[in-house]
Formats: sequence, structure tokens, C-alpha cells
Amino acid sequence: MEENPTLDSTAWGSSNGWLAPREARGASFPSAGRSLSSVLNELPSAATLRYRGPGVLPWGTPEEEEEEDGGRSRQAFAEATQMELQDPHPSRELPWPMQARRAHRQSHARDQLVHGSGPRMDQLARLLWRSKEKTKEGLQRLQPWAWTLKRIGGQFGAGTESYFSLLRFLLLLNVLASVLMACMTLLPTWLEGAPPGPPGLNTSSPCGFYDPHSQGLVTFDTQLFNLLSGEGYLEWSPLFYGFYPPCPHLAVTYLCWAFAVGLLCLLFILHRSVSGLKQTLLAESGALTSYSHRVFSAWDFGLCGDVHVRLRQRIILYELQVELEETMVRRQAAVRTLGQQARVWSVRVLLNLLVFALLGAAFYGVYWATESTVELQETPLVQETPLLKLGVNYLPSIFIAGVNFVLPPVFKLIAPLEGYTRSRQIVLILLRTLFLRLASLVVLLFSLWNQITCGGDAEAEDCKTCGYNYKELPCWETLVGQEMYKLLLFDLLTGLAVALLIQFPRKLLCGLCPGALGRLAGTQEFQVPDEVLGLIYAQTVVWVGSFFCPLLPLLNTVKFLLLFYLKKLTLFFTCSPAARTFRASTANFFFPLVLLLGLAISSVPLLYSIFLIPPSKLCGPFRGQSSIWAQIPESISSLPETAQNFLFFLGTQAFAVPLLLISSILMAYTVALANSYGRLISQLKRQRETEAQNKVFLARRAVALSSTNPAF
Amino acid sequence: MGGSGSRLSKELLAEYQANPFKERICRVFSTSPTRDRLSFEDFLDLLSVFSDTATPDIKSHYAFRIFDFDDDGTLNREDLSQLVNCLTGESEDTRLSASEMKQLIDNILEESDIDRDGTINLSEFQHVISRSPDFASSFKIVL
Repeated sequence: MEENPTLDSTAWGSSNGWLAPREARGASFPSAGRSLSSVLNELPSAATLRYRGPGVLPWGTPEEEEEEDGGRSRQAFAEATQMELQDPHPSRELPWPMQARRAHRQSHARDQLVHGSGPRMDQLARLLWRSKEKTKEGLQRLQPWAWTLKRIGGQFGAGTESYFSLLRFLLLLNVLASVLMACMTLLPTWLEGAPPGPPGLNTSSPCGFYDPHSQGLVTFDTQLFNLLSGEGYLEWSPLFYGFYPPCPHLAVTYLCWAFAVGLLCLLFILHRSVSGLKQTLLAESGALTSYSHRVFSAWDFGLCGDVHVRLRQRIILYELQVELEETMVRRQAAVRTLGQQARVWSVRVLLNLLVFALLGAAFYGVYWATESTVELQETPLVQETPLLKLGVNYLPSIFIAGVNFVLPPVFKLIAPLEGYTRSRQIVLILLRTLFLRLASLVVLLFSLWNQITCGGDAEAEDCKTCGYNYKELPCWETLVGQEMYKLLLFDLLTGLAVALLIQFPRKLLCGLCPGALGRLAGTQEFQVPDEVLGLIYAQTVVWVGSFFCPLLPLLNTVKFLLLFYLKKLTLFFTCSPAARTFRASTANFFFPLVLLLGLAISSVPLLYSIFLIPPSKLCGPFRGQSSIWAQIPESISSLPETAQNFLFFLGTQAFAVPLLLISSILMAYTVALANSYGRLISQLKRQRETEAQNKVFLARRAVALSSTNPAF
Repeated sequence: MGGSGSRLSKELLAEYQANPFKERICRVFSTSPTRDRLSFEDFLDLLSVFSDTATPDIKSHYAFRIFDFDDDGTLNREDLSQLVNCLTGESEDTRLSASEMKQLIDNILEESDIDRDGTINLSEFQHVISRSPDFASSFKIVL
């Protein structure tokens, strides 16, 4: 009856090797004596796991205990108690019920009194950790709307909560930018004395004249028009770049403000994305544990109410079935024949061409709209009707908004035809919509650049004298600021219009319609990816425009505040919890990344205009300079000798090349370290497997020996 | 405070009426011999474990206990299949089919069972959970 003393070497490594241990737990020898599972349950690790503190019944105690087993398990628990008392865990972290923890803390305190206070370093470390926790808690409490976010997360899921959390974060960024702006641009402007008025018609300058104020009495609708398009009395106001006087101190602080805001936003976004990145990188590969995550983290324990629970159960069932189906699709895709693959890929190429064609048409439309705005404004019909004039003025914004409204649903229709798995489809749709939004902004900026620099041709007729198109655009920075201002306003108006004219009426009307049709048409969901992309687009517009329109961050703060409450109201009154939840982890990783992309894109036109386009001669703090950046070397030359030398040294190669070398060495070292950790992990995993096989083997031997020798 | 106090039977906890894990939660947190009642202190323990400030270790420990339907200290195939049935709903039309269930459990064990013994013990469970960024936000009750 002797068991085989060693497992076969063939069974050791092959998959069959684990069939034997796998069934070990369920197997129980029918003979008298102990079964395998009871032996395994007596292991010290199992005993510590089940231990629940002094005086409390351990977990998993069967209702009646056999006499021999009872003695042995009590012994195991006594050993566990000893181990626990030696290990100085804080009482809060023990998974015991409250009475046990209280007893533990009292005995621990008594021990400390008896043996004197523990090592100083330990206490110090614990004090430091506790104060860090308290400050973190304090900072968390400072954040506004914490309770609202929790409620939204509980009712609509973590994906929706991440949208509102992102909105709150962007609000913080805008508030900081406005405060910096007040300190670094508004304050110096007024400290220098009352700023001068516009140059008017009297100045004789080779670059034409600039007279933003309208003549005579201004009617009400013209005032409204001026408010909405940033012209008239708004054009020469602290709102736009042109107003600021040409003092050297102001010039330096204005430039420094732009860079400071960019740097601050970068640091904050990096800080926010690091936590999301850490979790995504920690999972060695997300795809490897997707099933376990889906099952173990699926249930939101905060859900209450029958309806929500049933809805969530339906969602989970749907997701699991989709996941299993996707695995089958992937397996099928792996065994596709060459002919089928060719067919699938040709369909994909065709659809991608269609997407490019649509995008190209959209971009051409935006380009045409921006180019023709100036011509259309000259026609007499447009001059007569103020409404048409407003419409023509807003033509670029209308085009961009229209394109952003029409094309994403088209992408959603195209994506299923390409034969990718569902998660990949979602990523593709997101990428395409993102490209559409950011690229339409880029096209608008490109056409503006075209107008300002006569297509980059410095020798062209209009741009020869002053370096920019002075006839049509006497103050080009203000024009760029005005376009961004109009985009911001139009975005807010469309948001309000969609909420008030589409979402609320739809909910009200379809609530009145009886039956399933009414319910189907009336259920709206909060589309998290679309909303977040809209938010990021709005923030990118503000980043592009804030150099040319310094009050834009302040306006954006107000806009985002309004948006928060509007979206919250819309969410609670018209939306039902989503059928497909957008996972919070993806949100935390993907959205800050896209925000970084928006920041990078917005820095390009800014840097280009600072370094390469000559500033307007008639307006702004940099008038008369050869370029906006030229102010900085002039101010540096007024600093003391050592500071000058240090700053010039930072720009030389002797500083940049060693820096680059050191960073590359550090990066290579980190990569090597990560690789060695990965190897260590797989080694330890293999060791664990063999240890488990050893354990089962020994337990089997114990059972076999006890059945032959009843004395055990 | 402290002592025996009043006893809340599981029927009175309205929050968890619809929660499919209500019996398991009651059983896990209860310290009474019959394991069907929660005292006030047990309720406090429950709230403390489900709060924001509980450490991930404690949360995963208790989650493991809740998912261990047969109380044997490991998650075997039956535990996992009961868990999935709780997640999707108990009625006939909301269950996964037998083949889907088998495939799902095979996949889960393939991913999480490091020592290949056919069950998931506490440390393997904690290892998988530590890499799941959504766990902390889902194992939470906000009153």
C-alpha cells in the first residue's frame, strides 16, 4: 500500500503534474483515520489564517468537532497566538473583531509598560507615518465637492466619477493660472500707472494704424455683438494682449507668467497621472489577469436598491459573456486562413481610407471657414444684419462644433465592421475622436498663421514691411486671442443648448410616452469618453489662448464651475446608470495622458509665436521688439556678471551633453533593474509550484502512514 | 458602548437587502456562536473594513473570507462558481451556461493559482487583488 515515493519526472513539469495535486483537496480516503484535507487544514499557515483573536471562535469551525481534532487545532491556535503577540502589528491592521483587537491593544500597552518603550527609531517612524497620514487626510478634506463625487460614484459608477474628478482638477489648474496672472500681469500693469489708450489715427507708423474703438454712439445690439466676439470696447481691455503697455518689467513678467503656467500645469498633470501609471505598470500585463480582476473586483458593495443591483448583475453577466466570446474570436482569428486574412485586412484598409477621407473633408471645411470669414465680412449684406455678422464671425467655431458633433457617431458605426475585439474598437473610436478634436483646432491655428504671416513667405507683398500682415491684422495677437475667446464662448453655449434643448425635453417627453419605445428613447446615458474629450479640448483651447488673452483662465474657471453644476443636474435628472461601465483604471491612466498631449499641442503655437513671429508694432507689451523672446536676453544683460555667466552656461553644450549622458545611464540602470526583478519573480513562482507539490506529497504520505499505523 | 448592546439581525440592514453577498457578510463579521446575528460592534467592524481608510490588506483578507463560501480557507472551483452565480444573479436565465462557467473558472485558476494546486489561497488572492486597481473603490460602502 506504499505510495510512490517520488512523483514521476514526467509529471513534474507537464500539465498533468498538477492534475494530481488539484484533485488532492477534494479527495478523502474512505478508510478510517484522517483524510488529506484534514491534514492540510492543520498546517500552521492554515491555523494562523483562521485565527481570529483571543476569545473568539476561529473561522470555519464546523458545528461539531471531533475529539482528536479538537485537541490538535487548539494547539495550533495557541501557537498562532504566540506568533501574533511577538509580531508588533498595530491593532488596527489585524483582521480580528473588535473585542479581540481591544484585548490585543491592552496587552500590548501592558507589555510596553513592562518592557519600557520600544526602540526609538520605531516610534519615530510610526510618528512620522501618522503625521503624513493626517496631512493627507487634511488635504483631502480641503477638496470641494467630495461628497457629491462619492454620491455620483455610488450611483453611476467609477467612470462617471472620474469625469467629475477631472473637471475639478482642471478647475484647480485654471484657478492657479488666474491667480498667477493677477500677480504677474495685472498687478505690474497698474503699478506702472494708468495704461495708455490705443494709438488711434494720429500715429505715423510704417505699419499702418490701429483703432479698435468704434466711433460715435453704439447701439445695443452692436454692444452685444462686441461682447460675443471680443471686438469694440473689449478689444482694448485687459482681456486681450494688445492693451498691455510696453514696459520692460511688464514684458519680462508677462513672458515668465506664460512659462510658469505651462510648467505648473505640467507638474500637476504628471503628479496626477503617476498614480494611474503606477497601477497600470504594476500589473505586469493587464491582459494576463483580466478574468480574475473582472470576477473579484466586479461587485460594488456600495450599491443599494433592487433596481441598481439587478442592473449591475446584468452588466456583469454581459461583460463576462463578451469577454469569453472575445477569447473565442481571438482564437478563431489566430487560425484564419490566408484568404480570410487578406479579406479582413482589405476591409480594414478601405474603412481606414474612408475615415481619413472624412477627416480630410472636415479639416478642409474648417480651413475654408477660417479663410473666408474675412471676405464674407466685407459683403454689404453681412454688414447690414448684425445676426449674420455674428454668424460669420463664429463660422470657424460653428464648423468645428458641427464636425465634432457629426463625425464621432459615424466612427462608432464604422468600428464594428473592422473585425476587431470590442475593447480594441473602443480604443480606436476614442483615438479617432481625439484626433478629430485636436486636429480641427490645429487646422484653425494653421489658417490663422497663414493669414498672419502671408503663408510663411516673409517677402510677400503684405508682410514685407513689418514681418506680418499689417494691413488686415494690425494687432495679430489680439486676433488669435479673440478666436480662442469665441471658441470658449461657443463651447459653453452649445453645452447649455444641448442640455436644455435636447436632453431635458427628451427625458420629459419620453417619460410621457407609454411603453417600451418611450423607455428606449428616453434612457440616456452619460457618455464618459465623449464628455472627457470635450473637457480636454476646452482646456487645450484655453492653454493656446491664454498668452494672447490673459483673462481666459479666469473666464474658463467660471465656465467650468457652470459646467460642473450643469452636468451634475443633467446627470441626476436625465441619465440612468450606464449599461457598459467605463473602467476607472483606464480612465485614470488614459485621460491625464491625453491632457498631456493637449498641453504639448498647445505649446507649439505659443513657442512658434514667441520665437519666430515678429510682435505687432502697435499694441502689446512687446511692441518694437524684433521678437517676443528678444526681451529676455536684454533683461539678462542687466543682471550681475555671475548670474549672466551662469545662465549662459546653462544654454551651452558643455551642460547639455553630460546631462543627456547621465540621464541615459540612469535609464539603462533602471531598465536592467526591472528586468532582474522580473526574472526573480518568475523564479520564485516556479519555486512556489514545486513547494506546493512537495506539500501535497508529504500530506499524502502522512495519510498513508496513519492509515497503516492507527497510533497516529 | 461595548458589551452586548442591541443585536441587529440581518433582516434589519436595509442597505444589504438586495446585496447578493448579504448572508456571507453577516456570517463573516458575526462573532456570535450561531453566526446569524451582528452585534453593534460587529457592525462597526463591518463599516471599518468597508470604509475608505481600511488598508488594502484588511480589505482583501475580508473579501477572501466573504468569497469563501464553504469556509475552508481556500477558494476552490465550487466557491468560484458560487461567486460567479452571485455576481450574475441566481435565477436560471441570468446564469452562465455550464461550458462558459467551466471556461471562466479555468481561466481564473490559470491566472491566479500560482502554485497550481487547484485552489486559490489567501496570499495568491491578495497578490491578484494588489494588481487590481479597481478593487479598493468597489470594496467600499459609503453611508
